[in-house]
Amino acid sequence: MSEIKKHDTPMMEELKKGPFPSFVDDIEQYGEKHKKQACFDLLGQLELSYKHKETHWKHGGIVGVFGYGGGVIGRYSDQQDKFPAIWAFHTIRVNQPASKFYHTSALRKLCEMWDHRGSGMTNFHGSTGDIILLGTVTEQLEPVFFDLTHQLKMDLGGSGSNLRTPACCVGKARCEWSCIDTQELCYDLTMTYQDELHRPAFPYKFKFKISGCPNDCVASIARADFSIIGTWIDDIRIDQEAVKAYVGGELKPNAGAHAGRDWGKFDIQKEVIDLCPTQCMYWDGEKLHINNKECNRCMHCINVMPEALRPGTDTGATILMGAKAPILEGAQLSTVIVPFIRLEPPYDELKEIIENVWMFWMEEGKNRERLGELMQRVGLANFVETVKLKHVPQMIKEPRSNPYVFWKEEEVEGGWKRDIKEYRERHPA
Amino acid sequence: MDIEEVKQKILEFMEKKAKSKSKIYLKDMQRAIPDAKPMLIKKAANQLVQEGKLEYFSTGSTVMYSLPGQDLEKGMTQE
Repeated sequence: MSEIKKHDTPMMEELKKGPFPSFVDDIEQYGEKHKKQACFDLLGQLELSYKHKETHWKHGGIVGVFGYGGGVIGRYSDQQDKFPAIWAFHTIRVNQPASKFYHTSALRKLCEMWDHRGSGMTNFHGSTGDIILLGTVTEQLEPVFFDLTHQLKMDLGGSGSNLRTPACCVGKARCEWSCIDTQELCYDLTMTYQDELHRPAFPYKFKFKISGCPNDCVASIARADFSIIGTWIDDIRIDQEAVKAYVGGELKPNAGAHAGRDWGKFDIQKEVIDLCPTQCMYWDGEKLHINNKECNRCMHCINVMPEALRPGTDTGATILMGAKAPILEGAQLSTVIVPFIRLEPPYDELKEIIENVWMFWMEEGKNRERLGELMQRVGLANFVETVKLKHVPQMIKEPRSNPYVFWKEEEVEGGWKRDIKEYRERHPA
Repeated sequence: MDIEEVKQKILEFMEKKAKSKSKIYLKDMQRAIPDAKPMLIKKAANQLVQEGKLEYFSTGSTVMYSLPGQDLEKGMTQE
């Protein structure tokens, strides 16, 4: 192999000096070891971008594997003379297994394949959750796809105007709080909606994210157009003896998570009861009482005293829709659309909701309009009706504070034409 | 309208548009052929890609459709 050429990169050197491990070190080390010119060209181009304060990547193109409209993101350098090794530097998204459990042999194989066919650089994982393979040329795309599907039994993930790779939290595999089997659901949705994942048909991207409990470890409420968050409808399970043990200092609050500093003696009143957002808890010195009807599933008490409190056993999920990052307007969190739904395979009820939402969005959504923006444009009341769901009190914070459901003429007896004088004769003042 | 007819209409529309734009959103095809169901147009467009008569163009965040062998930079400067 010919000798690799290093570029002069003083600003990149600066980035190595901080207290944290630097990606510059990582890329250099890898490039030296495997004699990859692409690594040094990449740093060279980044240096140039820092200098010019603008990107030198050209975005997009007709790259992809046959029959797929997503999974490959075309990248070309506009400095082809200076950095020939990265003139084409396409990104490949690979669908991660649910909850990102891997056998080391699968990872080893994947890395070997990528050393051979690509730049060798990866992201574990991208924000959407996929494995990101960074940098290869157009001719290698089909061979990479063949190796992924035939040898590694992996598929490309979603990109473009597609359903993006569904992501889930660690779920029942490792977490006692998980109210739903997130992995099963994630896998089921991935397999059911293969066509939507690979063949673009939507106005823009669409994301599913599934969390097992309201702690929402995949941040579905902030990122997913369609967030599925596990919850329970019965009472929080209380072990009163364990509560006493927390109060008496025998058990460490937060399972010892904040033990690095001395915070003083655990004060249940100050650290749990007073912080309850709906003030539904009460400690009488002997026993902990919870008014479960008022609980809004913030999970704080359960997080602080995990041995004493656990989610209920009658479980399902809350469905929220419309989160997005700020592009057109500001960032938006998801809105509760279905307060509670039971989730058992084959998830027919859930899929019906999903398909109704898609139908409406594909029909009414503008180019590059996220679901959250469409909901805002048509109004939540109209949206809920169009996707054939019911208005429920859980959609608003409290009565009369943010009502968005208004009576229609046909729903009011006598319509808008009721004679107020005649009414007042019967009901003075 | 059957799928072959829709495919034909899509190709006609694409060729007409190719003079000014190199890339077309699926939504624009659906608007141009109001008599066919949007789902059918999606299916037809995807089949055309399989047959090699159309190509996907992806920016990474959005996907558009184009005729094979187009000068893709053209659309970028004229849009």
